[in-house]
Amino acid sequence: MRDPAVTAAAPRGGHGRSKNSLGALPLLAVVTVAFGIPAVTLLVGAFTVRDPATRVSSIGTANLSRSLQGAYLNALLSSVRLSAVVAVVAAILGTFLAQAVITSRFTALREAVLTFSGVLANFGGVPLAFIWIATLGNSGVLTTALGLGPGTLYNFWGLALVYLYFSVPLMVLVVTPALDGLRPQWREAAQNSGATTWQFWRHVGIPVLTPALLGGVVLLFGGAFAAYATAAAMVGSTVPLVTLQIADALTGDVLIGYENIALALSLDMIVIALLVMAVYLPLQRRSSRWLR
Amino acid sequence: MYKFVYFREILRDTPLGDTVIASRVRLAGLAAFLLVGATACGAAPGTSTPSGAASDGGSAAGVDARTATSAADFGGLDKLVEAAKKEGKLHVIALPPDWANYGKIIEAFKAKYGIEIESETPDAASADEINAVKTRKGQDRAPDVLDIGQSFAISGAAEGLFAPYKVQTWDKIPENQKEPSGLWFNDYGGYISIGCDAKKIDKCPETYADLLKPEYKGKVALNGNPTKSGSAFAGVYAAALANGGSFDDIQPGLDFFKKLKESGNFNPVETTPATIEKGETQISIDWDYNNAAYAPKMAEKGIDWKTVIPGDGKYFQLYAQAINKDAPHPAAARLWQEFLYSTEGQNLYLGGFARPVLLPAMQADGSVDKAAEANLPPVDGEPTFPTEAQVNKAKEVLANGWGAAVSG
Amino acid sequence: MVAVAALPDVTPGGPAPAARPGQRRAWRGIVLVVAALYFVVPMAVSFWFTVYSEGQGFSLAAYGRILSAPGFLSSLLLSLGLAAATIVVVLLLTLPAMLAVRLGASRLGPVLELIATLPLVVPPIAYVVGISTALRGGIDALAATPLWATLIAVQDERFPIVLVLAYVVLTLPFAYRSLDAGLRAIDVRTLVEAARNLGASWPYVLFRVIIPNIRSAIASASFLTLALVLGEYTVAALLGYQTFPVWIVTISGNDGQLSVALSIISLLLIWLLLLTLSGAGRKRS
Repeated sequence: MRDPAVTAAAPRGGHGRSKNSLGALPLLAVVTVAFGIPAVTLLVGAFTVRDPATRVSSIGTANLSRSLQGAYLNALLSSVRLSAVVAVVAAILGTFLAQAVITSRFTALREAVLTFSGVLANFGGVPLAFIWIATLGNSGVLTTALGLGPGTLYNFWGLALVYLYFSVPLMVLVVTPALDGLRPQWREAAQNSGATTWQFWRHVGIPVLTPALLGGVVLLFGGAFAAYATAAAMVGSTVPLVTLQIADALTGDVLIGYENIALALSLDMIVIALLVMAVYLPLQRRSSRWLR
Repeated sequence: MYKFVYFREILRDTPLGDTVIASRVRLAGLAAFLLVGATACGAAPGTSTPSGAASDGGSAAGVDARTATSAADFGGLDKLVEAAKKEGKLHVIALPPDWANYGKIIEAFKAKYGIEIESETPDAASADEINAVKTRKGQDRAPDVLDIGQSFAISGAAEGLFAPYKVQTWDKIPENQKEPSGLWFNDYGGYISIGCDAKKIDKCPETYADLLKPEYKGKVALNGNPTKSGSAFAGVYAAALANGGSFDDIQPGLDFFKKLKESGNFNPVETTPATIEKGETQISIDWDYNNAAYAPKMAEKGIDWKTVIPGDGKYFQLYAQAINKDAPHPAAARLWQEFLYSTEGQNLYLGGFARPVLLPAMQADGSVDKAAEANLPPVDGEPTFPTEAQVNKAKEVLANGWGAAVSG
Repeated sequence: MVAVAALPDVTPGGPAPAARPGQRRAWRGIVLVVAALYFVVPMAVSFWFTVYSEGQGFSLAAYGRILSAPGFLSSLLLSLGLAAATIVVVLLLTLPAMLAVRLGASRLGPVLELIATLPLVVPPIAYVVGISTALRGGIDALAATPLWATLIAVQDERFPIVLVLAYVVLTLPFAYRSLDAGLRAIDVRTLVEAARNLGASWPYVLFRVIIPNIRSAIASASFLTLALVLGEYTVAALLGYQTFPVWIVTISGNDGQLSVALSIISLLLIWLLLLTLSGAGRKRS
């Protein structure tokens, strides 16, 4: 696409630094307003304690400490557990699926699976819950046909099963380029040096893939951690989740004056996500070195 | 993040020519800027022009509709109707057409007064309604009237969100069902009941104690999550009453649901007509007016939906009406209340199996719709009510303990 | 391969290579069959559920009811409109900023990277809690200033600009990364400076030189934004707007078959979008 004549005629341009950074101004402005203001509000609100009787507000950590106790702590831990299980299982299954597709001789299969993954990775929310309820719910078609008892779907593992429906395809998309990046020469080299398949994976494949795999796990963790609508439609509060607790505190016909708890819980979520992201970013840099 | 690498592969090129993008992008950007720039400046009407939109509301009678506290302030009901018709519109929120007959009530009001009703987010909860009042202060899409849980009415009144108003039938509303100055007043209510799909279930449960029987495994659902849904909260409160608790002590209700969960009978799916139709929620604890209203609808689909009020856990609760202090259509808002508390409006509630607040008065003076009254699920005795302090304490206990009771 | 094959000493015996392809094909078959079952069965079963009921037998009526359901068209149009606006805004904001970084303002690079990462750590539900709290506070705080009307205007339910802004933030990381991949493949500085020296104006450079070269990156950014906006429920629902995903939930409560039919339709919708974008891309090349 590049015209060599144009490329050749390229002396250093004389544009000043300040002028160049103008291009970034609109983005910075919009992000400051649309992201900065809600973020600061959230932060301030989480530390604002309101006395229900006197309606006087003061700064304090009462909301935060309450959000880290009892039912709220339970929900937070349960969310982390669910997200971790989903992320790890989906990463393993997704990698196997991707490898099966990549090494297949049928390019049509590869195209089909990747397109399908693109669709399913973006499928979620309430429609996802409905499809599974129709399948494995208490009077789902499969539940009846296979004679499964009620409650098959409405528990921790049922929810994990449903989350895998969008997590595995996402992992396939995430890991495919990395698997593509495993150069066939490396494998041939290993084979020619007499390494078994296991030895190849143990000493070459997995070390090279590790950053990409861990990056994928982090991404999947984030997706499952933030999911709300699917769980709300499926399990009510039998699987306590922090997103459900936030929604309860924020809206509804029952609780009044829990808004600041919702803000504190949101802050808890952000801190957890930040911790996870802190693991992810350096890994992403490392993996990109291998996958040029 | 690698997924983009993949998309780059399959989306090699796009059909969007550069020129097309260029011109469309420029146009769209320009349009957006003009839109925001042209329409989006100015202060709140309440701050710069004190009477603002309200002046056209009650000007016919020389009354500010926003401060009128009775039909008499307008110079009688006819004048109120006149002022409301002039506004021509009413904005309501959180009124599902299949809840307490609101679908018919809205139609009847429209037909009677020729006032258009915008019914927004029918499924919204009380907290959403209060939120809408707060965030949309001064907007034309702010709700005019609210139908909210009594606790929200009390806290909203304390926050100064409502305008006081006394309908013509004010004196007939029992003392404990209204705020003395008219900031809110209860409209209709119901008992907690047990609905049951009699085709799929041989013997329907009739008490809370029945619900624990092994034959109902995985079948007993609530209409939502008790930390969020008013009827589910009431369901837990009623369970407390059935199991040795009291208005002061909701814990036995939590313990009951813990037992229900452990026995495998508890079903976490939120009941809707759709889940009943699917057979997903074959037993549902809900307000009697919801359960009773499902019956005719489900009969069309071949489901025999039965409703009983459990003898061991009788719990009755009413919802409340309030008028938004900053209602964009203040006269129509007041006329809506007059309509709801007229014999016609109250009988319409009754037609939807809800028990209107004026039911005792109407039974006394004979104006009650006898046929509709006969359709109500039978119940013995007079209802009793918890105090606001008792309710708040119960909610606190519930918020902390519900998750632990049913999780696992 | 040639280089390695030249060292025969390093291959001492080794396992028989002939056995391996068969083994590998076996595990591949199992993986593919299990995956196919897991992904296809719920869809097939759901479809069966929407077309068959004990009372009425086989009928496609549930799909017919979608079209006549109140609010279908308006909510779908709202979502499509929001998606279009979000795509335009996010591209118009991100591209110039990324170009600026590559053309000299490299100090801004880390800032941009941070901006494009932060939304990932804020789950939508936490973000919307912040937005609604800010809006509520803003209405009171700004009541006496001209900005008050701005705040009202951005919340217009017919076209809530506040949702566009929220979606721009949520989609920023994805748009940024796909554009970054596209820009990395071309020499931006050389292209721009050459065009500028030949007398091209800035808009000309952007629309005629840069954009044609990263068309596929722009397409993938657009698809991701489209998919995100068309499927986003949490923010729209908690702010009280009737977008397509919110409408699905509202309408689903009353009709079991309809709710599942809509779920299948929304899945098909995503698929169609993806096929349109990738199919059209192929035609061009």
